[in-house]
Amino acid sequence: MAHIPDGVLSLPVLAVGAAVAVAGCAYGLRRLDAERIPQVAVLSAVFFVASLVHFPVGPSSVHLILNGLVGVALGWAAFPAILIALLLQAVMFGFGGLVVLGVNVMNMAVPAVICGLAFDIVRQRGGERWAVPAAGIAGVLGVLLTALSVALVLALSGREFLPAAKLVLVAHLPVMIIEGFFTAAAIGLVIRVKPDVLDRTPAFSIEEPAR
Amino acid sequence: MKMLAFTLAFAVAVLGSSGDALAHKMKLFATAEGAVVSGYVYFSPGGRAQDAQIAATAADGATVFSGRTDAQGGFRFEVQRRADYRIAADGGDGHEAHFTITAAELPQSLPAEPAPTPTTTAAPPSSPPPTAAVAPAPPLPDLAALVEQSVARQIRPLREQLDSYQETLRWHDVLGGLGYIIGLGGLAYGFASRANGRPRRRLAASEKEAAR
Repeated sequence: MAHIPDGVLSLPVLAVGAAVAVAGCAYGLRRLDAERIPQVAVLSAVFFVASLVHFPVGPSSVHLILNGLVGVALGWAAFPAILIALLLQAVMFGFGGLVVLGVNVMNMAVPAVICGLAFDIVRQRGGERWAVPAAGIAGVLGVLLTALSVALVLALSGREFLPAAKLVLVAHLPVMIIEGFFTAAAIGLVIRVKPDVLDRTPAFSIEEPAR
Repeated sequence: MKMLAFTLAFAVAVLGSSGDALAHKMKLFATAEGAVVSGYVYFSPGGRAQDAQIAATAADGATVFSGRTDAQGGFRFEVQRRADYRIAADGGDGHEAHFTITAAELPQSLPAEPAPTPTTTAAPPSSPPPTAAVAPAPPLPDLAALVEQSVARQIRPLREQLDSYQETLRWHDVLGGLGYIIGLGGLAYGFASRANGRPRRRLAASEKEAAR
């Protein structure tokens, strides 16, 4: 579901998706510090592999997305990470079309960034105590927002919103639960082992003292 | 490095636990036995797609069949004339797949086209339509149809296997993808550190000039 194939969406939707993807990637790359590039690559690889884990649910078949985890770990840099992973999935496995790449990036990266920003706020206000539950909620929220966004995009291309949203949401309930636990566990591990990985200070604020 | 090791371990666990074929894509397979076209919609390989919308259209755009797949993801319908049919499946959640049954797969006893349009006469170039339409001697087409049907039945598993094999996901693809990501990451890292280094060098040169 999350990977929409070519020929389903209408032209204005495709254009908006491409514009959002380009803008998000440009902003994500501008804020990206060179020291964090390996981390972005690793999470891009996790995202690339996660879509291969799939299981049948009811009449359809779903797979892990893990955009919540990518968003919590990377913040705005989730855009380039997800773009690269989706491009490779489209070229190598035929997951989703190349023309709809922008829309697919938008559907998965915008929820990821929202999750990342919300996680940062919770972590700053509530401290480390709330970080693990917040990560779990971010894992659920990432999938939920992606499912809603897919349904919305389909609705804007002339489908009925409610049936599509129902189909997509019901099929993704198990994915949400799994990803909630997985994200909480992964972020919990990172906080225990190397908490500074999650400190996203934008590149310019690090550069300033050096000047 | 720890996270890289974690990713690789995750990939190995994922791929090791669930066999060889892991692509996630909706596919449609159909074949003709006599005038009956039957097939099914499936996720490669995550099981059959139930209750998907099926629509079959002829080359001239006329819809010859529309319905939904059953509990096994299957569908079947009978065609009246010999033409190319495009069968499309729609899962309703953004999944789509299509398959084309060519006129060559359908028995020659079917009429090609009552009112021939340029598109359908161009479609079966191998068989001259007028002779095929004139020649139906009663005993022979029966035997030919029988042979055709049994051959179609026997090669069906082979075609199904070919169709699903096309979409199986292979280890080297996954490893290649991970390699691409690592390579792009390295490239970005290299460019980024070069861009960071340049202003420093310029600053050093201007400092030298200032010192002179």
